[in-house]
Amino acid sequence: MQLRLWLSLPIGALALIAWPAVSYASVGVGVQAAPVRLDGVAHPGGQYALPPVYVVNTGTETESIAITVERISPGTGRSVPPGWITASSPPVQLSRAQSARIPLQLTVPRTAAPGRYFSDVVAKGSASVSAGGARLGVAAATDLEFTVTPGAASGGWFSAPGWVLPYVLGVVVVGALAVGVRRSGVRIRVERVPASTGPGGKRNHVA
Amino acid sequence: MSRRARVLLVPLLLALAGCGTAAAAQQAAGRSGSISLSLTTVPTIRSVTISPGQASFTHCTGGDGGANTRSTSRKLGFPNGSCWVGSSVSGSYPITVQNTGIGSNILISGSSADPADGGDSWNLCNAGGAGAVACTGNGRKPGPDQYKVLNFSSWGTWHRGISGTPRCDQVFGPSGSCWAVQGMVVTEGLELIGPQWSSDTSTNWTVTITWTPVPGRQN
Repeated sequence: MQLRLWLSLPIGALALIAWPAVSYASVGVGVQAAPVRLDGVAHPGGQYALPPVYVVNTGTETESIAITVERISPGTGRSVPPGWITASSPPVQLSRAQSARIPLQLTVPRTAAPGRYFSDVVAKGSASVSAGGARLGVAAATDLEFTVTPGAASGGWFSAPGWVLPYVLGVVVVGALAVGVRRSGVRIRVERVPASTGPGGKRNHVA
Repeated sequence: MSRRARVLLVPLLLALAGCGTAAAAQQAAGRSGSISLSLTTVPTIRSVTISPGQASFTHCTGGDGGANTRSTSRKLGFPNGSCWVGSSVSGSYPITVQNTGIGSNILISGSSADPADGGDSWNLCNAGGAGAVACTGNGRKPGPDQYKVLNFSSWGTWHRGISGTPRCDQVFGPSGSCWAVQGMVVTEGLELIGPQWSSDTSTNWTVTITWTPVPGRQN
């Protein structure tokens, strides 16, 4: 009898240790509840950085979370064409309880109609858990809101690719250095020593 | 202490005393002070977590025995065989859906069924409502290359079928409500009704059912 009692103790302890292993995997995605709103108004032809959207993996499986734009929750305003919103980074890989902020960019075409726009930013998880042949997936949505008013985009009359400004600054700095050196009277002479050959056709090396 | 040291020490002490006096005078005149306070807020994340338990498609029925395409217990038959994850009859709901974020409406949607060989998919069909794709078979059953998914819970069965676009999960709460407060857990099951016939001959198919919490308010 006593032997049985002593045997049951380690078996019970093993069962307790194994308990987490038999708990089932889960998938979960979270997104910030606060809506994604553009500060100020947008103008046709403009590009705007939206506040980054917070996403979190609430499941036990590693997720790759991607952002899409859909109209799925009730609200007023024109639907945001999905092509207007681009995530500035590829889908983020998040392990359990990890979170990230995904930057979003709004590009308003020149032909955009003025008015209030409303849709949902949807964070979709790539992971799924299987229920037989069915895969069960998750997503989470938060509102996306902005207003387009007529007028010129704040970009102004001049627009250029991002590399132009550093390039121009570099040229200006090099030019200023050249002018400064010239005015200071310092002279830098660059000479090339011609390679000469010896009588035997061998090169003379200068130590 | 030497005389020289005393000469140096006296002005130093006077200066220190002066500093203290000046500081006290300034404070008395209403100089701003600050204290640090910590504040805790409620979570502001909208999220849902799904756990399938030991769910799998079983108890398949239907099909045509005369054509040797009748369902077996774990294989879907044609035409219009049906398979179950859980059972609305015995009250088995193996899929756990938990609202792990703030109060939200829980939407549900389905994908097309994709064969393992990458061939022609089955399209999701349903009866009525926004975004409906009519089932073209006899008696409003799925037609060729169509399939239908019903979800059920202890609150009932959504007989119209899941849509391809996210719609309110009508069995998440009582009276067709899909409102979920924080921490609310609902267990669900699925019934899949297969097509009248399939263009693709694959015997392995994948369907995806997705739950999505969206902004909303309790009515």
